[in-house]
Amino acid sequence: MTVLKTVNLVKIYQNKHVPVPAVRGVDLQVDEGEFVAIMGPSGSGKSTLVHMLGGLDTRTSGEIWLDGQRADTLSESAWALLRRKKIGFVFQFFNLVASMTVADNVELPALLAGASPKVARERREYLLDALSLTERVEASPAQLSGGEQQRVALARALANKPSLLLADEPTGNLDSRNTRDVLRLLGQVHRDGQTIVLVTHDARVASLADRVVSLLDGEIVDDGKIARRRPGRGGGAGEVIDLR
Amino acid sequence: MRAGARWIRADLRARRGQAVLTVLTIAGIVAALITAATLLEDGTNPWRGLFAETNGAHLWIHTKDRPQVVALRAIDGVTQASGPYRTAPVTLVQERRKAPVALRAMPVAAPEVARPVVADGGWLNPAQPDGVVVERSFARALGLRLGGSVTVTALSGARHVLYVRGIADSADQGFYPEWTPGLIWVLPEKLDKVEPELGRSEWVTGLRLDDPEATQFVSQRVVVMLDEEVQRVYTWREVRAAMELDNRLLGTLLALFGIVGLVAAVLALANAAGGRVLSQLRDLATLKSMGFTRGQLASLLLVEHGALGLLGIALGVLPGWLVTWLVLDTSSVALVPLLAIVAGTALVVLVAVGVPAWRGSRTPPIPAAPSAPPRGRLSRLARLALLVRLPPALVLGARDAFSRRVPAFLTAFGLAVPMMMITIGLGVWATLDNFLAHPEQVGQHAQLLVRPDKLTPEEAKGLAQRDPAVQQVYPGAEVDALVPGEARSIRVRAIGGSASPYPFPVVEGRMYADRGEAVAGQGLLDLLRVKIGDRVWLSVGGTPLIVRIVGRTVEPDLDGQVLSLGVDSLAAKDVVPPEFWGLALKKGADPAEVRDRLLAASGEGLEIQRVVNPAERLAVIRVVIVALVGVLALIGLANLLTASALGLRDHAYDLAVLKAMGLTPRQVMATLVTGTGLLVVVGIVIGTAVGSFVVKGLIDLQGHTSGVGAGIARPPSPLMLVVAVVAAVGAALAVALIPARRAARAQVPVTAR
Repeated sequence: MTVLKTVNLVKIYQNKHVPVPAVRGVDLQVDEGEFVAIMGPSGSGKSTLVHMLGGLDTRTSGEIWLDGQRADTLSESAWALLRRKKIGFVFQFFNLVASMTVADNVELPALLAGASPKVARERREYLLDALSLTERVEASPAQLSGGEQQRVALARALANKPSLLLADEPTGNLDSRNTRDVLRLLGQVHRDGQTIVLVTHDARVASLADRVVSLLDGEIVDDGKIARRRPGRGGGAGEVIDLR
Repeated sequence: MRAGARWIRADLRARRGQAVLTVLTIAGIVAALITAATLLEDGTNPWRGLFAETNGAHLWIHTKDRPQVVALRAIDGVTQASGPYRTAPVTLVQERRKAPVALRAMPVAAPEVARPVVADGGWLNPAQPDGVVVERSFARALGLRLGGSVTVTALSGARHVLYVRGIADSADQGFYPEWTPGLIWVLPEKLDKVEPELGRSEWVTGLRLDDPEATQFVSQRVVVMLDEEVQRVYTWREVRAAMELDNRLLGTLLALFGIVGLVAAVLALANAAGGRVLSQLRDLATLKSMGFTRGQLASLLLVEHGALGLLGIALGVLPGWLVTWLVLDTSSVALVPLLAIVAGTALVVLVAVGVPAWRGSRTPPIPAAPSAPPRGRLSRLARLALLVRLPPALVLGARDAFSRRVPAFLTAFGLAVPMMMITIGLGVWATLDNFLAHPEQVGQHAQLLVRPDKLTPEEAKGLAQRDPAVQQVYPGAEVDALVPGEARSIRVRAIGGSASPYPFPVVEGRMYADRGEAVAGQGLLDLLRVKIGDRVWLSVGGTPLIVRIVGRTVEPDLDGQVLSLGVDSLAAKDVVPPEFWGLALKKGADPAEVRDRLLAASGEGLEIQRVVNPAERLAVIRVVIVALVGVLALIGLANLLTASALGLRDHAYDLAVLKAMGLTPRQVMATLVTGTGLLVVVGIVIGTAVGSFVVKGLIDLQGHTSGVGAGIARPPSPLMLVVAVVAAVGAALAVALIPARRAARAQVPVTAR
């Protein structure tokens, strides 16, 4: 089943009356349970694309379909309502609410979606347990390491069991150890059936995905599935990426 | 809802200090406003209630003989009459203090109009011929209790012991001691015994009118009808004014402080909410990415910041009510102004936080986009600073100060307004000090008034002149004069001769220099609608008095409705022998000491009265000023915290760069402090300048409207101003220093935004 579909999606910024195209006609289809990595160099329009997919930015033209529902014509408020239920975001700079504890940060989306405090707490306990953050429940974001913050952000994004998880350079601000941790978690979430669209410029990160979409100057230049690595050829630095 | 509540709770916890400050500020302002409204509101003036309760008379006439009440009642507009009641002046002696009393004969059956309402005990009873009923304010002032005895001395010198059978409220006259003599009701038979001589008493008649505004017309008819019989006429307005006291002055002052304070507090609130929203834009964007709608965010911010204001209002109502109840002894706070203040303040608060809330809600939902301060060229000020080779920290700070124009303006303005009010408060303080230090400038050159009691006037004068501390002795008398064409009597004060006049503080025109010339207070000029140079016709006990007003004095007594002239301008019957001697003391002499000395020298044969300085009556204003300066300082502090928080936020990124460029932590700190400090200095200096510019005019305006007259205002001394400015700037810099120091020492990651 298709979770996300875009038809000829275009975004043109107006910079002092000079149109600057960021995304030029992207057709993308993401099926349920798929893990798609969008790769590209800086300025290729990948962040703009993922922002549009989540309704954080408006499209100039084209269509966005989410769970079979047309989303690009929605108002800002309607997008917000849609995001609550169906979309989880993970950002490069974690974006935890600084004044709230870890627990509150994770419970917030569930409460926003109308869950009772009890349900929200149970969900939070489950998620933080799964991400091994149970001891840091009462800490404030400033007391956490970058990796821990991103794990909390991931927990928050998953709080409402969204149909789509959008991750914008989730490891861009992490060291290699933390990157590995976060990626392991993403892989785990994906194995549990979560649909993920991840933006990165790091090939190693992209290698985790089922499918890599390469973006250059706002256009898709390549879209291919990655061969699953054979069992026995264990991880480590010498991983080989095969494009089919 | 729950998510929003959770966010608000967390945010408030994160900025607890600022939240508390906001609440306290608003609470202080609301308390001041409520107190002001209570003081100004007629509903709390006891007159209205008493007048209704006693079915009071609108017009009171004192006559030498018993008037024809039937004729008086026949005057157009008069509905009912009360009296006439025979009234005799006696002196009450209580614990060595003497108080003038009007003993008024009243029938056993209380009259329909102007009936005293018994508050304690009972009314006059023929079974107790020595029983009297005392007017409540008089009883309280002299400590007279139910069942106690009082000794009164008649003009003949005979002493009589009376027993207090009741204490009653009345709207016949103002409260003692502002209105003298005190009032005691007795049975007619008893009065005949105390004062058998009809010639030493007068008759008092009250008239109730169908139109309270018609007093002037009716009183003219009465004066024409009774002609020379009339001793004194007064209306309900004077009674009401006497009951109002100095509350009006205090109320006006408080209202001024309260309203300007409200403006300042709202600015501070808007500034604080705006600054907070600005520093939270990233969090707000994150909330949006999580699914908060624009409307939800707006209401979230409105509720959070508005709730602080509303909490402040709620907290302010109680102390405001308590203050009026405890300190001012008013029985109730009128409901309508209270509601108006609460609703008005709430509305203003919501508007003030509504704008930043609306702006916050319009944040684009992409949390990665940071909101940076407008960048660009160095400001002119900063270039100037570079030009004169100031240290780099100062240059950078000067550049930062104005990089966000609206917050910079709000900060400077938000400090200027409280500082202006503080300067005005200091001016009021200086004016009060001046009253005390130079009583002669408010017409109180003579600090003691000596009435010959058992001695002859000449003996009294001789005693006073022999005292080493007495500089000069002025003969004096006070009489009531009827103003033809006006509904009332005015006080004429004769003291000193025309040739060697008593030094009245003439602020306009000139001092009188001849018989038939007089000076008047602003209140009298307004009442008679005359200018300096005009002639006025008065009637003193039937004798015409025609004087030319040649100057205006500062007149703190009786709302300024006093005419002052030389004793030789009055008819001899009123001033020979003089009613009292006014003693001007040598510099540094203690009036209380001189009083005791004279009393001892005369063997208690003198009655000596100390003139009450208006500053002593207004002493409560000082408390008000101190409290308001406290509230205003809170407002300034709130502004300052916002400014430095915003400054820090804007420059968090720069800090890392500055450090990388090689600035020491100390220099970084100096940069931050300069940024806020510059705005602080600008705000405080402007506020002080404007304040000292308007303070004289404001106090004089207040003096003019209260009848005292312009010319009393003293601006705060330069030293006082310098101390205030230095203290304010110093405190502000100290407050700005703490976060700057912390920021300068902290490890600031470049990636944090």
